[in-house]
Amino acid sequence: MRITRARGAAVTAAALTLTLTLAACSGGSDGGSSDGGGGGDVTAADIDAALDAEGTTTLQYWSWVPNLQPTVDLWNEAHPNIQVELTNAGQSADQYTKLQNAIKAGSGAPDLAQIEYFALPQFALGESLVSLDDVGLSDLESDFTASAWEQVAAGDGHYAFPQDTGPMVMFYRADILERLGVEAPTTWDEFLTVARAIKADNPENFIASIDPGDAGGVDSLIWQAEGRPFSVEGTDVNISFGDEGTQKFAELWDTLISEQLVDVAGGWNDAFWRSLDSGRYAMWMTGAWAPGSLETNIPSTAGSWKAATMPVWEAGTPANAENGGSGTAVLAKSENKAAALAFARWLSTDSEAVQAQVDAGLFPSTSSIMADTDFLGATSDFFGGQAVNEVFVQASKDVSSGWQYLPFQVYANSVFGDTAGQAFSNATPIADGLTAWQDQITTYGNGQGFKVTND
Amino acid sequence: MTQTSTVQASPEAPVKKARTGRRRPASSSRARTSPTLSILMTLMLLYAVVPLLWLVINSTKTNGGLFNSFGLWFADDFALGENLTKLFSYQGGIYSNWLLNTVLYAGVGGIGATILATLGGYGLAKFSFPGRKWVLAGVIGAMTVPLTALAVPTFLMFSRLGLVNTAWAVIIPALASPFGLYLMYVYSQDSVPESLLEAARLDGASELRTFLSVSLRLLTPGFITVLLFTVVATWNNYFLPLIMLTDPKLYPLTVGLNQWSAQAGSSGASEPVYNLVLTGSLVAIVPLIIVFLFLQRYWQSGLAAGAVKQ
Repeated sequence: MRITRARGAAVTAAALTLTLTLAACSGGSDGGSSDGGGGGDVTAADIDAALDAEGTTTLQYWSWVPNLQPTVDLWNEAHPNIQVELTNAGQSADQYTKLQNAIKAGSGAPDLAQIEYFALPQFALGESLVSLDDVGLSDLESDFTASAWEQVAAGDGHYAFPQDTGPMVMFYRADILERLGVEAPTTWDEFLTVARAIKADNPENFIASIDPGDAGGVDSLIWQAEGRPFSVEGTDVNISFGDEGTQKFAELWDTLISEQLVDVAGGWNDAFWRSLDSGRYAMWMTGAWAPGSLETNIPSTAGSWKAATMPVWEAGTPANAENGGSGTAVLAKSENKAAALAFARWLSTDSEAVQAQVDAGLFPSTSSIMADTDFLGATSDFFGGQAVNEVFVQASKDVSSGWQYLPFQVYANSVFGDTAGQAFSNATPIADGLTAWQDQITTYGNGQGFKVTND
Repeated sequence: MTQTSTVQASPEAPVKKARTGRRRPASSSRARTSPTLSILMTLMLLYAVVPLLWLVINSTKTNGGLFNSFGLWFADDFALGENLTKLFSYQGGIYSNWLLNTVLYAGVGGIGATILATLGGYGLAKFSFPGRKWVLAGVIGAMTVPLTALAVPTFLMFSRLGLVNTAWAVIIPALASPFGLYLMYVYSQDSVPESLLEAARLDGASELRTFLSVSLRLLTPGFITVLLFTVVATWNNYFLPLIMLTDPKLYPLTVGLNQWSAQAGSSGASEPVYNLVLTGSLVAIVPLIIVFLFLQRYWQSGLAAGAVKQ
């Protein structure tokens, strides 16, 4: 699950700024348990015992995954003693603002919440979430893809059950490439060649677009180029866009933008869908969760699309990144931690539960379904009968490790458009824009009590 | 008895005013027509009407049709009926909840705020008491603070009171309208003559009686103006309910429709329902348009109040 709207983030940024500071102030005092993770009094045995407990426990669960209710119903039917109430408390940043407010206020927070990977460190560091390692669930690692498990890590613990992932995939209009007589690009060099071919054919058209307000999209492209601008160790944070991978990304996209091969324009709006519908854009590089949106918004292009793994920087050396995805976290202040952990574990690992979520459109995080022949073999008419899951699973396997998000990524993303985004919009060097972004979030991080360096 | 006379008495005057008001510009425009002004007004008209027109046209399209047909004209399939049916049945018909919630919040909040503003404004205008200037200064000061800035402190306070995620969390803050109070203060000063109050008092009417049967009638245009302001403000309020409410069943239309819109803008298991967001927006403005049409004349005379010193 992923959200790309800068709009909502900007509105809530102000509120979040305030609440973040508040949370940082109170963070130290409410960590009653000595392990610092919160909820250390629960063990794996308690979680199993909760499944058979007498009486009825009701869990509050916040998630904005659409169509999740049928999955929750499966659980509620099978577990009359643990009833889960699903609430959509708002999308992405909206929900995080509410969650942060509720945690600060000490009441109104749910037992469990869906949290996107990029926002997880912020809540984990505030000691608001239960660490799976503290409750004896570290052995779940083998159930999930490597990148999913890595993305729920923050500091010395794992703070959520991976629910879905979004390995980057290149969705392209096969009809357009065929007409131009070019193959789908497998490297970024080929990408540039194809982009120029599209431009030469019709100056009005672009190979793709880039959203100057979408930090997540740019993060993914930097990640895919093996750039690692963020690193976090406790409260020591390093932010530097000077590394080789980031520079490679910046140079390529400087070229793409200066030659007007890509359109610098917002995503998810009317113009964006129209461009994908009319063939003005030939591609959309995004997470593997995208097919649902494509099928519903531009049904008239069904059959013309294909999916492929992302272009790579060096032929024969696969490298990929994630875009979006979220996990299910149990709140440290929950009074029903054992039951909440039991439900969250089921949601992410039970094969029936995972299948129900895949049916609802999520791209999974568990390793078992990635090897499932039914899953791999499923063909899609929208993609002209292609077995797209094979591509997605390969994309997931190729994700390179070591990417970290900032413990104030929600804020950082909200100011991306005003800093780095300007470089995209004005066709000035992207590296300079990234430096402006770096400066602003460094100042913010230091103001929040982190020790931020730019090495 | 008193009520019927109120109803008869008050429309009379504003209607006359509106008529004379309409006649004057008509005759002067016949005298000299300015092409510049006509073009300017046409542009203003387009500016105001085109978005509305867009909304109406696009409410008739399917989700796919939105992205492959011209924005200001109809698509091949006319799906308004389907959209309306789906609007009221999608996610268990939650849209009806949102609509009723909005009516409740805007109704109770708006009427309550107007009553409080009228009482307060009248009291400040017609009674002299120590500290009156300070109260007035406080009210004017409060007008400069945007509601958004108060949202988070209000949330923390309501959280302590245990009122978060209830209808009260939206209604109670809506009851305070410094702008309405100030407007009623100015309006009371201008439209309720001191001599009339003196006369009522001499006849032995209590202050409450004087207020209810003399002043309130004179204040009707102002009252309706403030009512429109507060109802519209609460109807359109987004940020406060957004942070106060977590249960979608309690959402007003603004937050609910935004949730659907955000759902379309995210992905994965997402089910884009842009068509329902648009149809929902269209239905959401219909009640406001009706209210405006009915109360328009009061609104006009209310806005003009205070412009001319009699």
